[in-house]
Amino acid sequence: MKKIYISMFVLSGLLFAGCADDFLDVSPTESIPVDPALVNSDEGATGFVTAIYNQFLGWEMSSFGWNAVSSIITDDADKGSDPGDAGGDKDIIDALTYNASTPSFESTWNANYAGINRCNQALEMFPKLDKVTPELKTRLTGEAKFMRAFMYFTLVKGYGGVPIVDHLSGVPISDADKQMQLTRKSVAEVYTFIEKDLADAIEALPEKGAYVGNDKKRVSKGSAYALLAKVNLYQKNWQKVIDNCDKVTGYSLVSDYSLQYKKEGEFGDESIFEIDGVGTTATPGFGIGNYTVSQAPRGAGGWGWGFNTPTKGLADAYEPGDVRRAATIIFRGSFLYDGREVPSTVANAMYNYKAYSSSFYNVEFTDTNLRYLRYAEVILMKAEALNELGQTSEAIPLVNQIRKRAGLGDTPFTSQSDIRKAIYKERRLEFAFEHDRWFDLVRTGQAQSAMAADGKTFIVGKHELWPVPTTFLREAGGLSQQNPGGY
Amino acid sequence: MKNFIFSFLALLLLPAYMSGQAIKGKVVDSSGMGVPGAVISASNSRTSTDADFDGNFTINAKEGEILKISMLGFDAVSIAATTAPMTITLKEAGDTALKEVVVIGYGTRKKIDNTSAVSSIKSEEITKMKVLNASQAIQGKAAGVQVSSSDVPGSTPSVVIRGAGTALGGRNPLYVVDGMPTDNINNINTNDITSYEILKDASSLAIYGTRGANGVIMITTKAGKGKMNVEVESFAGFRTPLKTVKMANADEYVRYSNAAFSGAFPAGRFSANQPYNTNWLDEITRTGSYTQNNIAISGSSENVKYFFSVGNYEEKGILNGSDYGRTTIRNNNEFKLSDKVKLTQNMSVSTIKNTPMPLSAFTNAYRQSPLVPVRYADGKYGVPFISNGVVGETGESFNNVGNPVAQLDYTNERQQTLTLQGGLKLDYEIIKSLKFTSQFNGEFYTYKQYNYVDNVALWLSADPTRVQSKYPGDLNVNTLTRSRDQYFNWNLSNYFTYNKVFANIHDVEVTAGIEANVQGTREKLTIDRKNVNPNADYWSLKDVNVASSVTGYKDEALNQRRLQSYFARFQYKLMDRYLLTGTVRRDGSSQFADDKRWGTFPSVGLGWIVSKESFLSKVETIDLLKLRGSWGRLGNQNVPLNTQTFTSGLDYPFGSGTTINSQVDPNLSWEIVEELSGGVDFELFKSRLKGSFDLYEKKTTNTILNVKPYSASGITVAAPSHIGEVSNKGYEIALRWDDKINDNLSYWVGGNFSHNNNELTNLKNVQLSPIIGGSLGNGQNTKILDNTSVGQPLGSFYMYEFAGIDQANGNMLYYNANGEKVVQTALNERTDKKYVGSLLPTSTYGVTMGLTYKNIDFSVDGYGTGGAKVYNGKKAQRFGGENIEASTARDFWSPTNTTSSNPAPSNVTPVASTYYLESADFFRINNITVGYKLPLKDDQFFSYCRIYVNAINPFITQKFSGFSPDVTGDGKLVEGTQGVELDAYPSLRSFVIGANLKF
Repeated sequence: MKKIYISMFVLSGLLFAGCADDFLDVSPTESIPVDPALVNSDEGATGFVTAIYNQFLGWEMSSFGWNAVSSIITDDADKGSDPGDAGGDKDIIDALTYNASTPSFESTWNANYAGINRCNQALEMFPKLDKVTPELKTRLTGEAKFMRAFMYFTLVKGYGGVPIVDHLSGVPISDADKQMQLTRKSVAEVYTFIEKDLADAIEALPEKGAYVGNDKKRVSKGSAYALLAKVNLYQKNWQKVIDNCDKVTGYSLVSDYSLQYKKEGEFGDESIFEIDGVGTTATPGFGIGNYTVSQAPRGAGGWGWGFNTPTKGLADAYEPGDVRRAATIIFRGSFLYDGREVPSTVANAMYNYKAYSSSFYNVEFTDTNLRYLRYAEVILMKAEALNELGQTSEAIPLVNQIRKRAGLGDTPFTSQSDIRKAIYKERRLEFAFEHDRWFDLVRTGQAQSAMAADGKTFIVGKHELWPVPTTFLREAGGLSQQNPGGY
Repeated sequence: MKNFIFSFLALLLLPAYMSGQAIKGKVVDSSGMGVPGAVISASNSRTSTDADFDGNFTINAKEGEILKISMLGFDAVSIAATTAPMTITLKEAGDTALKEVVVIGYGTRKKIDNTSAVSSIKSEEITKMKVLNASQAIQGKAAGVQVSSSDVPGSTPSVVIRGAGTALGGRNPLYVVDGMPTDNINNINTNDITSYEILKDASSLAIYGTRGANGVIMITTKAGKGKMNVEVESFAGFRTPLKTVKMANADEYVRYSNAAFSGAFPAGRFSANQPYNTNWLDEITRTGSYTQNNIAISGSSENVKYFFSVGNYEEKGILNGSDYGRTTIRNNNEFKLSDKVKLTQNMSVSTIKNTPMPLSAFTNAYRQSPLVPVRYADGKYGVPFISNGVVGETGESFNNVGNPVAQLDYTNERQQTLTLQGGLKLDYEIIKSLKFTSQFNGEFYTYKQYNYVDNVALWLSADPTRVQSKYPGDLNVNTLTRSRDQYFNWNLSNYFTYNKVFANIHDVEVTAGIEANVQGTREKLTIDRKNVNPNADYWSLKDVNVASSVTGYKDEALNQRRLQSYFARFQYKLMDRYLLTGTVRRDGSSQFADDKRWGTFPSVGLGWIVSKESFLSKVETIDLLKLRGSWGRLGNQNVPLNTQTFTSGLDYPFGSGTTINSQVDPNLSWEIVEELSGGVDFELFKSRLKGSFDLYEKKTTNTILNVKPYSASGITVAAPSHIGEVSNKGYEIALRWDDKINDNLSYWVGGNFSHNNNELTNLKNVQLSPIIGGSLGNGQNTKILDNTSVGQPLGSFYMYEFAGIDQANGNMLYYNANGEKVVQTALNERTDKKYVGSLLPTSTYGVTMGLTYKNIDFSVDGYGTGGAKVYNGKKAQRFGGENIEASTARDFWSPTNTTSSNPAPSNVTPVASTYYLESADFFRINNITVGYKLPLKDDQFFSYCRIYVNAINPFITQKFSGFSPDVTGDGKLVEGTQGVELDAYPSLRSFVIGANLKF
């Protein structure tokens, strides 16, 4: 009998032992949970910022849709491709007949906010990491803020005021955070936010020269000043443009314009903010998804989809002897710099040379880079600001620097208004297919006439801003309104 | 307290009453066997005793005094004491609720004293259906319990009790097998089951707390009793599809396809004289067969009850090559260690060997053209190649369907499962009214599988012009996947049961205890290999260069799940007629966040046995009338969990990148169901008419659905959160009439009907990540659950509404949002789709009838459902050159037949529409049994021999034009293919002959 009682006690003991407080604390084994301890190192923290740069390699962020809303939409480019291939929505974007459900506006919105999330994830993770070298943490914070400012700048240029999402939200979302994610802020508020981020970035980032090795591809103090100057430019704060341009130091124009768009010219002396695609035939790759192939010659003898083709208007805009024309446009029936033939049988007369990659010309993951800020732009921004402030004579030498590099003589103009036009024209030719033209046209008020010259109708009061996506408005449920013009 | 003192005094004074003499006797059952444990009481002498193991007893009573002899399962007998040794024969009790005992959580209760809704299915009902899994046998036998099952060998039936309350969580009930909570009972031999009870309402389920929301099925396996008894059951049967779909033959196919291809081939693509006419369904199927053999040895001695059984089930499926076998061994013993201590041990071993075949072969057989031969004259597999209008070994391909016979021939998959289940239970009677029970159960499961694919053979079979020497060198010759899977779960419960009657009118039973449950880490190992030796004996990786042979290696460990619980139940009966049950369980689950892991699940049940009131006791027609009602709260912890992981691989030339692209809801916990229910039980006309009626309203108050983050959050992964409300309202009626006309003839007729209304009643104001389900595999989907689904039942179909055939050109037309008839290219996916009904039936019903005449028994059971829809997914698959059903091939729109209900032949993939949505209403005879008991004399070796014939699913009436309206698909209500017939296995009709023997 005793034995039974003993075994009963053992059994019960098992249960009571089991009922200790930690019985229910089971470590998950299925997947690695989000635990800051797992990234509490220099490497872990750096990875959070690397992921932001990686966002710029995405198809939605930088490729087909982005080309549509920043390039095909302009007077520099046409949809291209075959007449029957709309590329989803490229035809209606080219024709300025798009609406709020047009996918490329939604994908651009989503991609930039996805990038902003990566910035916010990094910025909220860093304070939890106590094993990261403090200097590194400062720099990484600066990089994340630059990136966030850059993406808000894209959003505000395209859509006007947008929701300012500056921190992460919980589930279920609080009312305050719901307001934050669904309420469009004014354009001025967005610019104030961008300027604050850039001020923080300037504080935190090192000069370009302080980087070594692959880190040279990171953004620096100079990048932040240059972007801030451009943000000032869009707000017509001319003196600030000049001041901030003057703080962009350590850069210079490269002598060969066309070299910048080849592999050997990547991250040259002129490069201020550049996205680094790594070409590969394997998957996953770290090139900008289909950027090259979607813009490559199409049809018999071609190797791509043939979208985003230069217009005749652009080709005709270059003065004789401008080296930028041949560096920007592939002509049907010619040979490329690497000897590749573009037969006369391809579908379109011209293609975008700046998207070309010699080694990865027909694969998804191209090594083509995107140049978002070059020193040439700093020069032209400063020239524009000086000219607007009446210091036209100081602006002219800057314009001539750009013309000279392009193989052209000095500008013949001297009046403020002529120089203004000259600067606008240099901007067009210098930055063609570098995703600047549309915003520049709207900013400078040239859009209506430029579109008319290209045979399109730009409706004043409507087309200055893209439509905000229907999906967002549906989420907002009245908290936000569509842009004017009857989208 | 007064009572207590009185009892105490009574105990002390007891010897004083013993003024009688020793009356001796024996209690036997109708077969003359002693009835151990029978209680003999002499009311005048206030003495009582138990019969010993052989049924003998001695009691101090006066001669002539009335002795009352009672025993569970027998009718009580009152008889005058005699000085001569008495022989008292007890008659086995009829099945009336007055005597029936039901298994409830952590105990048993007389059914009449129970306040809850419990359906009990007896073992005979389960073994009558010759099926593998006991749940399949109960289809149609319990009101409020919807069972759908597929006849794929080894498949697990889906059981839904009182409606589905969850969209993303688990819908299966909890099975408790001899105290072991488990998810599946495929390892239990149906012949070993003594009772199968379904706890349906909150009053009975709340004791299972966070696992109770989907209902609980309590399974008790057999124990030995009396003299050694050997029981043998053997049966064998053959199986054929209950209903098949007639496909077009070669001539019909040619006529239809020439019309469909007339755009590209104005002169006709196929010539009229074709060399082959293949019936593909016949080619891939065979007459299935199955056998089962069981032997059970059981019995008891004074201190030991034993039960030992071995069972073997073998099935050859109707799909060529599919085989399934299960062997089970069970040993249940009960040891009486002392007068106060009982130890029960049970152990079950089950091994399953399965050779599955791909069910997509059915769809391929449906779609492949009859012009294609199984094999050409030279032995090569037939392919859909056509040259000069005639099918042959060369030419161009006219559809993209594989050869289903080749598909089956080159399928080489094996699965093997071993499940060990066992437990120890100790019952200790501390004092007469207080019992302590400690029970430990464990379950060990191991599974291994391989799948070998001969790529060269598949490559060759896809094109007869290919030769092996041309097989591309960069492709793998073959691939092999091997996997292993195992876990160990255990459960330990300790509880006290206190039962006492105070002052003769207050009957109190209290149960209280604690439980720990661990679902161990499930370890899964999967290895993908290439270019292995075709002989399975040479797959060992010893001394093999792993790098060149292994292409994938996955070693997973699923999260361990633990549950810690406290439970208590209070059952009170006043004056034998007023009933009150209160239960509470407090569960802590390791699956949820620290502050969200504990939950309390209370319930209360009330009952009133009206027939025991004096005003009804005189009414002769009413034998029993009982009202009951209950309220309770239950949980479903089998829900999606928070998983927030780092998203890595976001690299850039500086190095590797990581971010977070998901959010989690810190409040995520189990789903909570609140149920209010009421019912009435009655027995009328000398208990010949028995029945019950139940009403319930179940509300899942916090259904989990995936919330889609707002676009500006930049986060794209949806997070599960508590945001929905699902309601199930319904009623259940069960009626049964039993009558015995004379000693030779008795009969019964019964039936049940259940109605359930399922509805997603509410959603919080959040944006749902739409759950799109019912994929047809061709870009079309048939189901959705998103913000627009409020007011719809779960599992709703969502598609375009068919608007008829355009008589001018034979095009299919659909209604758009404005009610206009348009062609499919003019439809808008966002605005024109509609909710068109659910795959969940609103009503299910079962009927049963039977009779025994002398040695012959006969019974019929039927089952039907109403209100459900089924989508004919395979029919909606044509995109060019596939076969069509004969009915379509014989009547389609043409310039000369403009009023046909079938559109003009076309090769355009049709959009999902109500054209293919059909009523799933059906009524099926599930079982007809005829048995004959051989008249045996006592001295013969066999004490019992019954020979029987069964027809399982012999008849069905259905509106659905496909194979089976009872389509479980992958069993996923919203996101999966349940309710869509695609790759469907037909329901089977089986004829079985078998025998039961006892000796």
